[in-house]
Amino acid sequence: MNDEEMLTRGLKALAAEMDQLEAPADVERKVLEAFRARQVVRPISARRWNARYWVAAAVAAMLLIAVSVVAYRLNRRVDDQRNAVKQEQPQSVPKVDDKTINQEQVAGVQEQEPLATVVRPKHVRHTNVHRPENTQLANHVNTEVATDFIPLTYMTPVNLQDGGQIVRVELPRSALANFGLPVNMDRYNEKVKADVLLGVDGMAHAIRFVQ
Amino acid sequence: MIPKNDLSDGDLLRLMLAGDEEALALLYRRRQATVYRFALQMCGSKTIAEDVTQEVFLFLMREGHVFDPARGALSSFLLGVARNHVLRRLRVEQLLAPLGDDPDEEVPLHASSDDCPLEDLTRAETIESVRKAVLSLPTKYREVVVLCELQDVSYVETAEILGCAIGTVRSRLHRARALLLEKLRPVAEIEETGAASVKSARCFA
Repeated sequence: MNDEEMLTRGLKALAAEMDQLEAPADVERKVLEAFRARQVVRPISARRWNARYWVAAAVAAMLLIAVSVVAYRLNRRVDDQRNAVKQEQPQSVPKVDDKTINQEQVAGVQEQEPLATVVRPKHVRHTNVHRPENTQLANHVNTEVATDFIPLTYMTPVNLQDGGQIVRVELPRSALANFGLPVNMDRYNEKVKADVLLGVDGMAHAIRFVQ
Repeated sequence: MIPKNDLSDGDLLRLMLAGDEEALALLYRRRQATVYRFALQMCGSKTIAEDVTQEVFLFLMREGHVFDPARGALSSFLLGVARNHVLRRLRVEQLLAPLGDDPDEEVPLHASSDDCPLEDLTRAETIESVRKAVLSLPTKYREVVVLCELQDVSYVETAEILGCAIGTVRSRLHRARALLLEKLRPVAEIEETGAASVKSARCFA
């Protein structure tokens, strides 16, 4: 008999000897007692689930608070930005000295165009919410081409002494011809934009055409 | 209605998790011996084997829902849990020294044959030497020997329990048997040489 066979026989003998061994009855009693206690008290898994539930609830509450704070701060910034824009946007044309006003100065009003002043305020953080509006405004300012202000016949310098307003209007393209400007007859039926300078009396004093 | 004795392990586990104490008792009586013997053969201590058996079934009460029948039998699952507990206990208590010196920890091996007392004695000695040799193996080899040779678990189930490939089980078993042969061979040689030295000593005296 070689060593391998002897080892196999020895292992089988050991297995056969231990084959009848069992855990003492005391172990079964303890296991069953633990089972009863677990049934009476509370399921451990349920307790764990409750613990997990509370942790999840706490995390959710913290997230909700964080989101609310961020949203609140964003809203405040939006309001601040709007207020800043309102403050910086001139509501009227500055007073003009009646002695110095003339046709060139009327044309110079173009430089004080309110739209040009409505640029983003300093120290205002731009968010995605406001970017389209600002972008549109910037594009509007940069891409428009305007003529000089053309005085209307009844304009007098006195009328602009107390200020005035510039109003964007749309006119038939044929109106260009009234002011001696060339008209593209292919686009005769289209509208053309114009800024009308109104005095405090509500009368139109000058006009410029915008493209 | 099917008697509970005829129910499968999975059905008994389901009933037990629903709060059926009788199902737990049946499941325990059906599987406790396997778990207890595995723990005893792994660590050689009755006390630890009892503790491990208890802990395994307590674990089954708490976390029985994690058992997936598609991944293997419940017996394999229990042996896997028992293995984890045994390894933990061995690490904690550092039971690396040969066990069995404590009389209370002696594993009762009964070679009960009334025909030939001398043969019984020889057989008991052989079994004891094999048991000690198994206990002295490194853990990764010991668990393979215990499962495949002593518990008669298939290679596939052993691989499931140990969480390794079948090839690994085979190679570990091969290596474990070689180690056992090395450990058992010197015993016989030492016994022979020891007897000779005693004889010569008497001559000198």
